[in-house]
Amino acid sequence: MKTKKEQSLYPIWFVLPSLLIFGIFFLWPIISSLYYSLTVWNFETAKFCGLDNYKLFFSEHSMSSSVVHTLIYAFGTSILKVVLAFFIAIFLTSKIRTKGFIRSAVFFPNLVSMMAVGLAFSYMMHPTKGLLNVVIQALGGTAVDFLGNPNTALASIIATDVWKGLSISVVIYIAGIQSIDKTYYEAASIDGATGWQKLKHITLPLVAPSQNSIIILSLIGGLRSFDLIWAMTGGGPGFSTDVLASVIYKQYAAGFYGLSTAGNVVMLILISVIAFPLQHFLNKREEAIQ
Amino acid sequence: MRKKIVSLALAGVLTMGLVLTGCGSSDSGDGAAPAAEASGSEETSGEKPYEGVTLKWWGGNAENNAGTQAVMAAATEKLGMEFEVEVNPGGSEGDNILKTRMASGDLPDFMVWNSGSKLHELNPSRGFLDISDWDIVQKFDDAFLSSVTIDGAIYGAPQSSTQAGAVIYYKPDYEELGLEIPHTWDDFVANCQKLADAGKTPVYFTGGETWATQVLFLGDYYNIAATNPTFADDYTNGTAKYANVAEATRSWTKYEDLVDFLNADKSAATVTDGNFAIGTGEATHWFILTQQLPLILENAENPDDIGVFGVPGDNADDHGLTVWEPMSWYVSKDSEHIDAIKAFLEFYYTEEAMDLYFGTYGANGPSCIKGYELPESVCSAVRVDMQKYFDEGKTCPALEYQSPIKGTACEQMTTAVGLGQMSGAEAAAMYDDDCKKSAVQLGYDWE
Repeated sequence: MKTKKEQSLYPIWFVLPSLLIFGIFFLWPIISSLYYSLTVWNFETAKFCGLDNYKLFFSEHSMSSSVVHTLIYAFGTSILKVVLAFFIAIFLTSKIRTKGFIRSAVFFPNLVSMMAVGLAFSYMMHPTKGLLNVVIQALGGTAVDFLGNPNTALASIIATDVWKGLSISVVIYIAGIQSIDKTYYEAASIDGATGWQKLKHITLPLVAPSQNSIIILSLIGGLRSFDLIWAMTGGGPGFSTDVLASVIYKQYAAGFYGLSTAGNVVMLILISVIAFPLQHFLNKREEAIQ
Repeated sequence: MRKKIVSLALAGVLTMGLVLTGCGSSDSGDGAAPAAEASGSEETSGEKPYEGVTLKWWGGNAENNAGTQAVMAAATEKLGMEFEVEVNPGGSEGDNILKTRMASGDLPDFMVWNSGSKLHELNPSRGFLDISDWDIVQKFDDAFLSSVTIDGAIYGAPQSSTQAGAVIYYKPDYEELGLEIPHTWDDFVANCQKLADAGKTPVYFTGGETWATQVLFLGDYYNIAATNPTFADDYTNGTAKYANVAEATRSWTKYEDLVDFLNADKSAATVTDGNFAIGTGEATHWFILTQQLPLILENAENPDDIGVFGVPGDNADDHGLTVWEPMSWYVSKDSEHIDAIKAFLEFYYTEEAMDLYFGTYGANGPSCIKGYELPESVCSAVRVDMQKYFDEGKTCPALEYQSPIKGTACEQMTTAVGLGQMSGAEAAAMYDDDCKKSAVQLGYDWE
């Protein structure tokens, strides 16, 4: 009995260091942030104020609209990436000559830093001097204020994000498609299936595991995205591209530490509420297929 | 499973090791440096008492200008200390950096930062040195001192001259169309209409650099105070709101009147673009702090082409100027070179150094050093246009020097109203909510 207990304790010692690190650097901050989100905090004194921070967060227009923007941004980028990357990956796994080159070209945007991409695109989207508008005007169109017009600003950032983030999804898809057993396609060909039928009934179902990773990764990435938006508009014009992360950053910069901590808790909850059920649902779907 | 645990443990041990060695090496590094510097400064005491001392300072590009650099070079020549600048990126980015560095006890030796409410917001006693007993303090005028005094402690010394939140304009356009300086807001809008009819860009707007869009709102404070003398106190106590004081709401609706008069790239233009646009006459008016004057003049053909007038109100007989105290030098109380900083600042306020500064860089407005007169080389916009308001007593310190409360999303709102995305009345109400957050953070009980 005694020896058995010792044996079961023994591996715990190996886990302890990482458990300690996890506790100190992850668990403790989460717990303490829960506490500070209920206070007016200036790093030295924290005055308890109940749920006022949360009330303020949701009652104020600029903050509650940021939740909507976050959802539009996350789902917009995620859906576009899932769909576009699928067709690009199909194309890149087909029999084409310059496969190697095109694959690197598709992957290239991912090597550039987010900030650099953001700045470069915001220059290209400049309302009078930007490359895009110069081209549009040369072709006889009217200039579009991509980032200055609240109706197009968020969509412009989403488009940039998709351009930059697409490649990762493509790579995951390519790996998924290549791991599909060739015999399925051969069998389908013998049965006289068209290319479209093969795509719909073989590739699409069997690539589901990769697709699920892409959905989860890009959705979580979209929900907490900050750097690209900050580089391109800083949440502006006005508040029209403010997402949760940028609002939290601004609250923090303004010195409202309690309020910004509350925002972080809201973000944590939002991500969990969306990500966990989604993962569950996707796993179910995956199992059903198999 | 067992493999997994072992690898986790190994990873843990490795990380632990990294953390420990990281701490160790940085400790020894920190310990060694000051010792070496201290012994260095002792050896060379003599003609240049601070030889070998390097002072690290933090400030924005506007402060790290040719004038400051010239004075610092002169100080190196005279006193021996070297300077190393760390650049403040400005805006809320800069606020964040300074607040974080202050909270973590990592301030540079000395730095430039706002006076007034933004100093209050920092809670300066935890990082800045009280310089009340330094001799230089005697030289500063009272308006400046009140903007850097908190609970009886004086923290700052003026980095430059005073400045105003006003309209900087391109005079040749006025001469060409025979326009008069407007003394009421309606006249101003009428002028804009004439300029627009003549195919000019009447007002420059910098939506790409949001802080600068606040200047119309903030610079309009003279007009609020002229009709509501107790506004600052009532606002601090939470009884006066922007949404329910008519003149205060007007500060917001003025943006609406200008929506059709702005530059084509209003949503993306930056302050640097503005310096160029006004200096070259690409646009006629710009609501901006006069700290931009020296930078605008760099682009202007003739320094007398550029003029300044206060944000017009509704009373033509009471056209005044909203004045900002300069940015200030603050000293970190943990600096190891406080003596050297003190010597530098003593030098900074000698007539020789001030002439060098204003002669090299120019001035943003009249000086706040008692008895000091700006050199002749300073532009007429400052020495004539702005001085007139000071001589007539038609100046009023900006609200941020009279109340510690300032809404932090102000610049997003002024941008949104300026670009026509929301109405002035909406923004006024929204700004009141925003101010409430600041009030709560500062411990005021607003209901």
